[in-house]
Amino acid sequence: MTLALWLIKAQFQTRFTATLLSMLAIALGVALGFAIDLINTAALTDFSRAMKSVQGEPDVVIAPRDSAASVPLAVVNRVARDPAVSVIAPVIEVRVRIIDEPATVRLIGLDVLTAPTVMPDLLPRQSAEIPGNLFDDGVYLSRALLARLKRKAGDQVTITRGDATWQTRISGDVPATRADDLIAVADIAWVQARFGPLDGVSEARIRLAANTDIETWKKSVAATLPAALIVKGAADEGARVSNLSRAYRVNLNVLALVALLTGGFLVFATQLTAVAQRSTQFALLGVLGLTPTQRMAQVLFEAIAIGIPGSALGLALGYALAFAFTRLLGGDLGGGYFSGSAPTIAAAPLSILIFFALGCAASLIGAAYPAWLNRTQPLAAALKTGFAHRPPRAHKRRCILLGVLALVALSLSQAPAIAGLPFAGYAAIAVVLVMGITAAPLATHVLFSHLSRYNLPPAQRIAVQNVAQAPLMAQVAASGLIVSFALTVSMITMVSSFRVAVDTWLDEVLPAPFYARSKATPLPQAALDALMRPDAPFAKRESAAFSSLTLDPSMPAVALLVRELNRDDPGARLPFTGPVITSPSGQTVVWVSEPMAELYRVVPGQQLRLPLLGRDTDVFVGGVWRDYARQFGSVVISRSDYEKLGGRFEPTDLALWPLAGQDAAAKNWLADYVKRYALEFSESAEIRRLSLSIFDKSFAVTYALEAASMMIGLFGLAVTLAASVWLRARELATLSALGFDRAMLTRAVMFEGLMIASIGLAIGLACGIAVGALLTHVINPQAFHWRMQLHVPWLVVSIGAGLTLLAGLGASRFAARQTTLLPAARVLGGVQ
Amino acid sequence: MLVVSGLTKRHPNAPRPIFRDLNFSVLAGQTVALVGESGVGKSTLLNCIAGLETAEAGSVQIAELNMMALAEAARAQLRARSIGFVFQAFHVLPTLTVAQNIAVPLLLTRVPVAQHALRVETLLDRVGIKDFGVRWPASLSGGELQRVAIARALVHQPQLILADEPTGNLDPRTADEVLSLLLERCREQNTAALIVTHSAQVAARCDRVLTLTPDGLQGLSA
Repeated sequence: MTLALWLIKAQFQTRFTATLLSMLAIALGVALGFAIDLINTAALTDFSRAMKSVQGEPDVVIAPRDSAASVPLAVVNRVARDPAVSVIAPVIEVRVRIIDEPATVRLIGLDVLTAPTVMPDLLPRQSAEIPGNLFDDGVYLSRALLARLKRKAGDQVTITRGDATWQTRISGDVPATRADDLIAVADIAWVQARFGPLDGVSEARIRLAANTDIETWKKSVAATLPAALIVKGAADEGARVSNLSRAYRVNLNVLALVALLTGGFLVFATQLTAVAQRSTQFALLGVLGLTPTQRMAQVLFEAIAIGIPGSALGLALGYALAFAFTRLLGGDLGGGYFSGSAPTIAAAPLSILIFFALGCAASLIGAAYPAWLNRTQPLAAALKTGFAHRPPRAHKRRCILLGVLALVALSLSQAPAIAGLPFAGYAAIAVVLVMGITAAPLATHVLFSHLSRYNLPPAQRIAVQNVAQAPLMAQVAASGLIVSFALTVSMITMVSSFRVAVDTWLDEVLPAPFYARSKATPLPQAALDALMRPDAPFAKRESAAFSSLTLDPSMPAVALLVRELNRDDPGARLPFTGPVITSPSGQTVVWVSEPMAELYRVVPGQQLRLPLLGRDTDVFVGGVWRDYARQFGSVVISRSDYEKLGGRFEPTDLALWPLAGQDAAAKNWLADYVKRYALEFSESAEIRRLSLSIFDKSFAVTYALEAASMMIGLFGLAVTLAASVWLRARELATLSALGFDRAMLTRAVMFEGLMIASIGLAIGLACGIAVGALLTHVINPQAFHWRMQLHVPWLVVSIGAGLTLLAGLGASRFAARQTTLLPAARVLGGVQ
Repeated sequence: MLVVSGLTKRHPNAPRPIFRDLNFSVLAGQTVALVGESGVGKSTLLNCIAGLETAEAGSVQIAELNMMALAEAARAQLRARSIGFVFQAFHVLPTLTVAQNIAVPLLLTRVPVAQHALRVETLLDRVGIKDFGVRWPASLSGGELQRVAIARALVHQPQLILADEPTGNLDPRTADEVLSLLLERCREQNTAALIVTHSAQVAARCDRVLTLTPDGLQGLSA
C-alpha cells in the first residue's frame, strides 16, 4: 500500500494538470447528474406537497373525467352511506378573479364538518375582529393572496367568474397554505350558490375506515359509478405527478450520464498516457517483483484516487448547481412542468452514495483498458524499449464488426419504447458512438497509408507515416473528438430540427394578429357581446374554451379544446400531420393531437369513447394534428358539436383579426376591456417570441453539456497527442540526432494532430447526424410524442467544426511543445 | 543457489533456437560473469532466469523453486523475495527519492516499515552515498545512480543478483568502483551473482566466467 501511495503521489505531482482536469471532468459529470437528481426530487416533492396542501390526504378521490363536469350529489350521498367510508368531504373548486387582482385565484368551497379531517391545511381561521362562527359568511384568503391584494379581515372583495359576481367580506385567513398559494376558501354552499354546479361537486375526497383495503374498495365502488366518474387513489396521484416530467427527467439524466462518461473518457486518456509514459517504470517494478495484478491494480488505484475527490467535488458542485438552477430556471429546469416552483434542495443519503459511486465507477471504467495494458505489457521488452505498440488489427474483422454494429443500431432504432421511455433508442445512440470509435483506426490506417504514397516534405511524411502505423494512439486521440463532436452535432441538429418545427408550427397555430384570454375563467358575456357589435374594429373573431379529460388516472389529463372552427374544414386552423377524414353524417367529430394519438393509440377514422360532459360519448376521430404545446395530448372539438352534445360553451380565449389598417384602433378598443376584465392581451409576434424564448430556456442545460463535452474532447486530444509524443520519445530523439530541428519536429507533431482531429471531426460529424436523426425520429417521439423533420444546421456545424479544428491545432501545439521539451541526448542515451 | 537445467529458448518463427539445453549452476556467494558476442542471447538467458521470459524446455531452480513451473504472479513473488537486479541503464524510478527507490523491494517483500529506515541507511552508507536518501534521481550522476541500483538490489538480502552490463554506461574509474562495490557486497551477504558483461576486466574479477556461444555454454568448469 505504501508503494501504491508513493506512486499515486508521484503521478499527481508529475502530471498535475492532466490529473486535475480528469478530476474536474468526473466532478462535472457527477455534479450535473446529482444536480438534476436533486432538482427533480425537490421539484416533485414540492409539487406533491403543494398538491397535498390543497387536496389534503384522502385515501380515495371521486372526480369527473371531464373537468367541465361534476360529481352528482346523488353519487356523493350514496357513497357516504357506504360503511367503509369514514369521512367524505365534498369540494367545489372554481377559478375566479378578484377585482383589482390580475391573477386568477382558486376558490375552494369546503364543508366545515368534514374538511378538518381530510384537508386540514385548507381549514380557514376566523378573524378575531369578525363576529360569528367559521363559514357563517364571507371568504377566507391565503396569506399570499392577502398580501397581494393588500387587504385584511373585514375588507370587502368582489369575486367574479364570467358573468357571476359575489361581493363579500374577508372573514379571516387560511394559515396553513404555502407562501405562494393564491387560494380563497369559503363554505361550499356559498360557492355552489354563486358559481355552481348546483347539482354536483367538483370532487368527493374520502377517508376510509381503518382496516379497509383501499384498492379493493376502489374497484368495488368504481364498478357502481357512472363511466364519466373516476376513482383515484393516492398512488395514482403520485404516478401522475411523476409521469408529468418523467421523460424530461430521464432525458436530462441520460445527458448527465453522457457527461460522466466523457469524464471517464478523460480518465482513460490520462491513465493511458500515464501508463505509456511510465511503461519502463512499471516494467522495472515488475522485474523487482510487482505482480501483473498489482501492476493493473496500481493504475486502478490511481483512477480511484482521481474518482474519489472528483466525485466528492462533484457532489458539492452539484448541490451548488441545483441551488443556482432552481433559482434561475425553476424546479423543472425550464421544462415547464412545475411552473412557479422554487423547491428546497435536500440531498438524500442514498442519492449521495449512488452519485459518488457513479463518479468512482466512471473513473475506474475509464482506467480499465490502460490498467489491462499495464498488466499485459511484456516486461523485458517494455524495460528495453518502453510502451509496446500493438500492430494494426485485421481490417476485414473490423469491417465485419462495423456491419454488425450498424445492424444492431438499426434494430434498436426500430424497437418500441419500454415503459414509455426510449431505452432502445438510447442504446442505439451508444452503439453509433461505438461504431465511430471502432471506425477510427480503420479510417486512419486506410486514409493515411494512401497519403503516405505521396511525395511529402520530411516532417509531414513522418507524421503521415506515424498516424498510419499507430492506430491505437490515433484511435484514442480521435475517439475523444468523435464522441464529443458527435454529441454536439447531434444536440445542435435535434434542437435545430425542433426549433424549426416549432417555428413553422407557431405560424400555423397563430393565424390571428391579436390574442386575448381571461386566464382560465370564462370571458364575461359583456365583453363577448361588445366584440360582436358593428362598431368593434374587427373583421373576424374566434373563441375557444379549455377543459381537461382524465382518460387514465395515472397519466396527466388530456386537454379538451372547444374551438370555433369549421368542422368541414378543420385544416384551416389545425396543422394536420396526415389526411383529414370526413365524419359520417351527424356524428360528433374530434381531432386528436400527435401525443394523444401515440399515448392512447388512436388513429384517424376510428371511433373513440370520450368522457364528455359527464357521460361516455362516442366520437369520430377526423385526424391527427401537430401540437407541441401539450405533451400529454389534446382533443379538439368544434363549438357546434360541443353544444349539440349539451355542453355550455364558456370561452376563455379569443383570436382577433382587426379590420384592414386598423391594428392600432383595435388595440385601443381592446385596451379598455383588457383593463376592466384583467385579460391577458398578446400580439402573435409576441407570443412567438415568448414561445421561442421558453424553448431556448428549456434547452439551456443541453448547451452547457455540449460545451463541456467539447472541452473534454479537445483536452483528450491534447493529452493523447502528448502521450504519443512521449511514447515515441526515442524515435523523435533519433530524428533530432539525424538532423530534424525542433521546428520540423513541432511541424510533424502539429500536422499529425491536425490529421487526427480531421479524422475525428469527419467521423464525429457522420455519427452526430446519425445520433441527431435518432434523437429526432426515435427519442423525441417515444419520450415526448413529438415528431418533426430532421434539419441539420450546416452553417453552425461548419463553424463548430472549424473552431474545433483550430482548437485541435492548439491542442497539437501543446503536444508539440512536449516534443521540444524532450531531452534528446538523454533519451538517446537510454537506447540500448 | 541457482541451478539451470536443460534450458532451451526459441523465438517464434526462428529457424534455430537462441540457446539449447543449457546447464549450469551458481553457488551462494559465488560471482559468475556471463560473456559472449552481441545477439548470442545473454540478456535473453538472464530474462529467462528471472522469469521475465519463458523457455521452451528446461528448469531454473532458485531457492528450491523452479521458476519455469510457476505462474506469472508467483514468478513475480519469487523475484521479489530472492532476486536483485542491476541494469546497464540504472532504471531508477525518477518520481521517488533515493531512499524510496531503495525501499521498493522491502515494500514488495512486506518487510515491516519500521525496519526500512535502518536498512536503507545502512546500505546507503555501504554503497558510498550516505546522505543521498532525500535526493531525487535527476540530481545524481550515472555512477551515483548505479550505486542506488546496487543498494536497491541488495536491500532485501536476495539469494541471487542478476546484473546486465552493470558498468556499461560508466567511465572506467567509476565502473571499477561500482563493480568492486557490487562484488564486495555480494560476498559480504553470501549472495550469488550472475553478471552479463562485454568487459574482460569485469569478467576477470568474477569467480567464474561462462561464455555463451551459438553452440552453448563454455567454461562450465572454470
